Amino acid sequence: MRVGFQEELEQLDAALHEEGTLVLRSLRGALNALVDQDAELADEVIAFDDEVDRRYVAIEEGIESLLARQTPVAGDLRFVLAVLHVNLHLERIADYCVTIAKLVKLAPPVAPERLFVDAFQEMGARAEEMIRVALDSFATRNAEQAETLVQLDELIDRANRRFVQHVLSFGRDPTLQEWGLRMLLVSRCFERIGDHAVDIGERTAYVATGEFREFTDASH
Amino acid sequence: MSEMEAAVAEKKTALDVAPRTADVPRDVVFDVRDLTVRYGGNPALAGVSLEIHEHAVTAFIGPSGCGKSTFIRCFNRMNDLIPGAAVEGSVLYRGQDLYGRDVDPVTVRQLIGMVFQKPNPFPKSIYDNVAFGPRVLGWKRGLDERVERALRQAALWDEVKDRLKESALSLSGGQQQRLCIARALAVEPEVILMDEPASALDPISTARIEDLMAELKRDYTIVIVTHNMQQAARVADMTAFFSVDVSSGGRTGVLVEYDRTEAIFTKPRDRRTEDYVTGRFG
Repeated sequence: MRVGFQEELEQLDAALHEEGTLVLRSLRGALNALVDQDAELADEVIAFDDEVDRRYVAIEEGIESLLARQTPVAGDLRFVLAVLHVNLHLERIADYCVTIAKLVKLAPPVAPERLFVDAFQEMGARAEEMIRVALDSFATRNAEQAETLVQLDELIDRANRRFVQHVLSFGRDPTLQEWGLRMLLVSRCFERIGDHAVDIGERTAYVATGEFREFTDASH
Repeated sequence: MSEMEAAVAEKKTALDVAPRTADVPRDVVFDVRDLTVRYGGNPALAGVSLEIHEHAVTAFIGPSGCGKSTFIRCFNRMNDLIPGAAVEGSVLYRGQDLYGRDVDPVTVRQLIGMVFQKPNPFPKSIYDNVAFGPRVLGWKRGLDERVERALRQAALWDEVKDRLKESALSLSGGQQQRLCIARALAVEPEVILMDEPASALDPISTARIEDLMAELKRDYTIVIVTHNMQQAARVADMTAFFSVDVSSGGRTGVLVEYDRTEAIFTKPRDRRTEDYVTGRFG
């Protein structure tokens, strides 16, 4: 039994989970900044990204060192390779949160209709749920649970499409148009976060089964 | 057969060599069927069936006492030399039963050479070590060329060409092991069996032996027993994992899994293989 090696793998698992928790905080902050139009909170979310980046780099360096010293194979190798990917997906999700925060600051001050607030709330909540499911299924190596992310992603995609329709119904008011344009990008960020969560799910299935396959084709 | 049919047949042959197995030639050199080896009645190894492919490096791995050394010794009838050893089942070498009545074990050992864990050169000159086998076989013509060829194949020629008359014991451990490989090659075998060939060597000598295996498999079929899993991962095309079965009260070696090396080290099918290669065993 390679006790030290096992501990390192567990630490890697724990570090990834911690990074996931930070990403969820970032998302929650971005969503609140968006709904409340809170520029100060948006700034905090932007600054907080350094924290996520530090974890990201630490995990990557940990993997580099682990590969060099411990030569993991079989299930351990699959796990380490999957962590490498999941780490990157989480970092990207955090980047989308930063983009949302920046768009909050860039958008002209328009008091959004209830419809839009609800849409943001819905997409944000779905994105949060997807990240949770992705992290939980990865932690428990549950390929079946990971595959449910496909259905959850479809819900976010639909919300995104609906959002586009709402924005297209705007009139010719330039301020409203600019706001709409910025918010389309926000909506797109939520949609991309969902895609990254699905990608994490695919890595979970790879760790569990040894086969990598995309849950859906490239259309998602 | 029409031209079209011939073209289709040719294409099919090309497709048969799928990329996944392209590096593992499929011609069978050894076909082992339900092999059991007993020492004094107790099975040291039981019910092993597998095929060894030509021009491939095949590694046997597993914990101590799993029967991997016992198994490799069956390929050139080295177990015959152990009193009380009995072999059941069959080992077919190119379709012929190695344990058949009319098979001469000496011929078997010429065709299927062996290199041991500890380099064991004779206390003779470097030249005489390599020339020994051919001389025994009465191959007197072109002996110098034969010795040079064997030493070149064993990647030792450049280091010893100016000191062929010196004692083999003056060589370093790594050089001695390559000399033993040259000695095995000098009698023109088809197969080289290696039982832990690098376990007594330093990392640089080990790397040279590993490089040598990659070279030699072009001309020979290589079977290796190793304790070093990473060595198997580095050099072998196919890997067989053996384990110890204690369910019948004794300790009997069993073949757990045999597959492409890459599969064994990325997605083994058996839990016991996974536990062993990831170091969770024991």
